[in-house]
Amino acid sequence: MALDSTRQLTLDPVEIPAERSPEDALHLAAGSERVDILFGSFKDGRGFSLAAHLRKAGFTGELRAVGPLLPDQEGALKRVGFDTVLSDRIDAGGRGVRVPFESVYQPDPTGGGTAEPAYRQRALVARGQHADALAEMLEGASPEAILARTLEEYRGRIAVLSSFGSEAALGLKLIADIAPATPVLFLDTDRHFPQTLQYRDALIERLGLSHVEILEPDPEEAAREDSDGQLYARDSLACCALRKVRPLNRALAAYDAVITGRKRHHGGLRGSVKAVEFDGERVRINPLAHLSASEVSERFSALDLPNHPLVEAGYPSIGCWPCTAQASAQGSREGRWAGQERTECGIFDPEPGKRAERAKSVRLI
Amino acid sequence: MYRYDEIDREIVDARTAEFREQVQARLSGALTEDEFKPLRLMNGVYLQLHAYMLRVAIPYGVLSSEQLRTLAHIARTYDRGYGHFTTRQNIQFNWPKLVDIPDVLDQLAGVEMHAIQTSGNTIRNTTTDPFAGAADDEIADPRPWCELIRQWSTVHPEFTWLPRKFKIAVTGSPEDRAAIGVHDIGLKLVAKDAGEIGFEVHVGGGQGRTPRIAAKIRDYLPANELLAYLTAVLRVYNLAGRRDNLYKARIKILVESMGADAFTQAVETTYRDIRGRELALPAEEIERVSSYFVPPPAGAPDEAPSNDRAFLTWREVNVKPHKVAGRAIVVIALKPYGKAPGDATAEQMEAIADLADRYGRSEIRVTKEQNLVLPHVEAAALPSVYEGLKAIGLATANAGRPSDIVACPGLDYCNLANARSIPIAQAISEALEAAGLDEKAGEVTIKISGCINACGHHHIANIGLLGVDKKGEEVYQLTLGGIADGDAAIGKIAGPGLSANDAIDAVVTCVQVFADRAELGETFIDTLTRLGHEPFKEAVYGA
Repeated sequence: MALDSTRQLTLDPVEIPAERSPEDALHLAAGSERVDILFGSFKDGRGFSLAAHLRKAGFTGELRAVGPLLPDQEGALKRVGFDTVLSDRIDAGGRGVRVPFESVYQPDPTGGGTAEPAYRQRALVARGQHADALAEMLEGASPEAILARTLEEYRGRIAVLSSFGSEAALGLKLIADIAPATPVLFLDTDRHFPQTLQYRDALIERLGLSHVEILEPDPEEAAREDSDGQLYARDSLACCALRKVRPLNRALAAYDAVITGRKRHHGGLRGSVKAVEFDGERVRINPLAHLSASEVSERFSALDLPNHPLVEAGYPSIGCWPCTAQASAQGSREGRWAGQERTECGIFDPEPGKRAERAKSVRLI
Repeated sequence: MYRYDEIDREIVDARTAEFREQVQARLSGALTEDEFKPLRLMNGVYLQLHAYMLRVAIPYGVLSSEQLRTLAHIARTYDRGYGHFTTRQNIQFNWPKLVDIPDVLDQLAGVEMHAIQTSGNTIRNTTTDPFAGAADDEIADPRPWCELIRQWSTVHPEFTWLPRKFKIAVTGSPEDRAAIGVHDIGLKLVAKDAGEIGFEVHVGGGQGRTPRIAAKIRDYLPANELLAYLTAVLRVYNLAGRRDNLYKARIKILVESMGADAFTQAVETTYRDIRGRELALPAEEIERVSSYFVPPPAGAPDEAPSNDRAFLTWREVNVKPHKVAGRAIVVIALKPYGKAPGDATAEQMEAIADLADRYGRSEIRVTKEQNLVLPHVEAAALPSVYEGLKAIGLATANAGRPSDIVACPGLDYCNLANARSIPIAQAISEALEAAGLDEKAGEVTIKISGCINACGHHHIANIGLLGVDKKGEEVYQLTLGGIADGDAAIGKIAGPGLSANDAIDAVVTCVQVFADRAELGETFIDTLTRLGHEPFKEAVYGA
């Protein structure tokens, strides 16, 4: 459903009878700030699904349920996406305040909402506890031991995140030796140095990685947010959100654990990275966390791994070309977003990650 | 079996408290009868011919001995000393007072039970194979999935005001003892070569006025995507199912009018839109719920030999093979000759709970044939179990035999019924006993419904009776050839309607023809397929 740009923004509610089809409802709601869904009877459940559908499609305006609805239905109506219930039966009979259920078994259709469904609450607690136990068990273990254990533990729900940058070959080599079919996620931002892409292909070939997922920005989002291709210059955070954070979030939906190449020696937010961490949703495995820059380089030589071509040219950390500069120290991230406050693109930084995640809810309307 | 955690307890308690207030609001007049009716229905309270009826959910037919004792207590304290097990693996109490019902619900909540969504236009109790976790032909145990569906469907914010009721069945065996073909959604667990499990999805089956066999809409759904897919099916139905005509409101009519292909496409589109992290079942939760359903340990190796002929017959007929060595599945047919099918007294329930504690890991199942099952009995204890059942009059060796008759409550209780069911079942049962047909005839199913709503499952009976009202008279239609499990089939009407007495004779006659003409090892369906309907019709209606 395309954005209906001809509709005037107005505070007069758009009225949608509950019997309208979801396609019609979406079309009518587009561009409006306030939508009333009209229930002919309190028994007519269609309005519940219409609200869920509108919210899921990205409608962010005010949604009101209008009709002879019962106070007993108010909680459910709000959970499926209504902001307000307009009914002369709501306060009838002096029944007092309805107490909403504290726990729920279902996610809200909007994906955000009041409470996580029970199955996710329980699972996330269990996942966090399990990650803590693994972290303790693997404290001080070798990268090989950490990978062997976690690749087995999370088999079928673990992926590797790789930039195919200056240090990537080491982690990929260790993983390929244990489980070469492990999914490797690569963010193709369309702003990479050509050398990175060549290096990526060469490494895939050499290490025998059999499952590489190339993640690209959503073309519609890219056309809308970066029509001239210059977003990096105006707002590098927004550019990362478009080209890295959101594509990665979409791809990660299938995984409960992700292996990264983050190391403490990178400094900044990475100074205290542990081998196994839980980010509230996924387990992050950082098998190389405790390696120093020189240990990385020693292992590169020992394993006879090829260097990224730009390392020789003085780029110790390599991202997209507009935001990567040369730097002095080996392994340093100084050249990333040089001259800006930032040191991270956002995929490991909870706040921008969440902002970008929320941003997807304005996708359609 | 599954045990509640804090979240489960909190939700059931909150719901019980909510209904207590709704009953008060009705009594004070703050809620009108029209408003109260759907609210009481979705809490299991019907208004029947003579009194309120409370239908208690037995999630996927699984009971602990403690829960069965509580049902016995409720029967004794709030009812007339018995309960009625239903074709949907639930139990009904026929005589509670409305004011007592909130107390009954509190007592149920105390043993992790409820009556939520046992009626109304909601997602009802999920049903499954009564031999789940014990059957030796199982691909995977369906109970964890039933429990996950139970939770997801309980107090669902979007799907509580559906066009009509909605029933989901799950089978873990290719044999399908859950009749998935006649459910709104039928789920069949299937395994991929790599060992991953998923579901084959069937939608749009049902009985009632317009019996339909479900259409298969997906060959393989990854198991952890179950909730997203169910949500998609329910959303398509909730938005597009008919609400203008009660008789055309079930999903089977929507599937038929859209066509299975278009319906499937609508579901798949919705599924693609909504699937994602929030609706995916996390591996940890699947593991947690599954951990409640581990197979029992092996029983003692030797079963003592016996030469008690009655025991041996019962063992042959009512005991089924278990997947674990030294254990057996015992079917307790609630079908003593001449008694109301599915009824059990408080004393019988307590005695069965004791037997389950002593010999069967404290677990009981309810079947859609209105029987009870002890799923995990120590094989060595079978003679003791038999003696214990004999003492309460429930050791009849007729599980799966002609007199294992299914019947809805009918005109004796139900305000929808056109005709009596239970007395007809009782008379047929007596006649079958008198003719010795349980011994002479092999496997056959007889099911009786007192009206077109088909609660007695007559459509899927080998021999079915449907009671109709013809100008004030009870008349029965005879159907032949229906099949509940496996490749479900709808029975065909054999001829003109029959009076009650003629209907009783007709059923017995059909069983007699089967007994006389069956070849070795044939089921009724085998014989019917081989001979055709004619010999049966001829015996009933004459040449």
